[in-house]
Amino acid sequence: MSLGASLRTDPKRELWFAWYSTVAFYSLYSVVFFVLTRTQPPGRPWLTPEQTVAWFADRHWGLLVGFALIFVLGGFSATSISLITYSIRRMSVSRAYAYSYLILYAIAAIPGFLFICVAMTVGAMRPERDPALLHWLYDFGFLSFSGTMGVFLVGSLIWMAAILLDKNGVFPRWFGYLNLCNALTEVVIAPSWIFQRGVLAWNGVIAWWIDVAVFGMYTVVFIYLLRSLIQRDDLGTGPVPAPVITG
Amino acid sequence: MTETERVPGEGDMWFFVVFESLVFTSYFCVYLYDRAQHEHAFLKAQSALNLPLGIVETILLLTSSWAIARCVQEVRAARYRSAQRFVLATVGLGVAFFGCKLAEWVRLIGDGHTFTSSEFMQHFFFLTGMHAIHLLIGFVVLGVIRYQLADPQHRSHQTIETCSTYWHTVDLFWVLIFALLYIVR
Amino acid sequence: METSAKKRLLVAWVVVVAITVIYLWIDRSADDRGVLVSSVAVTVAAIGLALVKFRIILGEFMDVRHAPRALRRITDLLVVVIAMALLSAYFVGRAVA
Repeated sequence: MSLGASLRTDPKRELWFAWYSTVAFYSLYSVVFFVLTRTQPPGRPWLTPEQTVAWFADRHWGLLVGFALIFVLGGFSATSISLITYSIRRMSVSRAYAYSYLILYAIAAIPGFLFICVAMTVGAMRPERDPALLHWLYDFGFLSFSGTMGVFLVGSLIWMAAILLDKNGVFPRWFGYLNLCNALTEVVIAPSWIFQRGVLAWNGVIAWWIDVAVFGMYTVVFIYLLRSLIQRDDLGTGPVPAPVITG
Repeated sequence: MTETERVPGEGDMWFFVVFESLVFTSYFCVYLYDRAQHEHAFLKAQSALNLPLGIVETILLLTSSWAIARCVQEVRAARYRSAQRFVLATVGLGVAFFGCKLAEWVRLIGDGHTFTSSEFMQHFFFLTGMHAIHLLIGFVVLGVIRYQLADPQHRSHQTIETCSTYWHTVDLFWVLIFALLYIVR
Repeated sequence: METSAKKRLLVAWVVVVAITVIYLWIDRSADDRGVLVSSVAVTVAAIGLALVKFRIILGEFMDVRHAPRALRRITDLLVVVIAMALLSAYFVGRAVA
């Protein structure tokens, strides 16, 4: 069945729309941060003001084009948050979990991801300003992006609690525990406020590389599990049916 | 041995044990690699640690692990009252461990050995701090066991075993952290 | 049956505590009058003994001993992976230094 036909006949089309938007958003996000703007992996925290000016000049168009895309399409981050909120609503737990998750992640997106876009775009648009100011924007951009991961910690714990209390079998329980692992790595990035060098700086082996490895696995896993939830979902309120194995 | 084979606690909890062990192992690898790069500086900073205190902490946590394992045995034998006492003992030993940890941090910081004073201390405070967070979550988990034991309606042997598995995991991580921070030369 | 399980747990506790106390002796013999000295033997012994304790806690306290074969294999594999990772990080680090 073609995508167009399934959108017309499939009662789950809204869910699939949200799911495909989630995949599209995370792909866009990766392309913007890793390829276009090259703001991930993060720049070195110990740059001097003059080196910062060169850093901005080096990726001038990348920053402008990449973050313009985010300003236009960044709202699609709402699709993954809403789909996850839907998954919690589908569980046998209080709606309070879903609402807390929704509100937390909606607010967390501002320091966790929009601040860096604004700061870096300002830097790219005003290259003639005092290098000290550009240096400040550089620090502000990366510290707001990396240093505020803690805002996602409680959200991850809420999702974990909902999964572990749920009796509808919306997600496998091991994924509940993976949420705990993810929440714990959100703590690890906090020392990047203190260290400008070494393994705990914002580009450090522990604070960045290990964290991103865990977060990357977590993201791939939850996108896959949301897909399997939509496939199994009977759109009811009771237990989600087990997967049907078709030959 | 003719006992039937069974997974202790919930199978999915073992995913956490393995995954979190691997995450900690990655932190340990970074520490050991860094350490080999600056061996003298690490040895010098390491000499500020108080090994006997570390050993006392280790024994406290090992004993708490034993106590929660005894608790599970009592639960299996349906002796819930005695199981309750073992949970309390576990909490007590965990609190004693945490108290020692706090005292150790206070003493080190008082002597000028802080999170930022040397690379060794950076790893020391990071690893012991991360472990302490796992320990604090462990108190919540022990609270779940106590709640389950107190109320016959909510008593699930599987949940109690799953919670005890978490507590043992906190012990597992400490055993490695202790050897790597206090003993390794 | 039950008393033997209790006794076995106690023996496991005695063994892990004894290994912990051995560390005190290793530590004393490793140093040069209070000054810490680098030593490959001490490092390898410390990691080895820690993993022995790790394995005992898994097998006895966490009752993996009575678990299905798959879980026993997975936890054994975990111990091996940790051992290899730690030793390679240490030796690669030394070789690079």
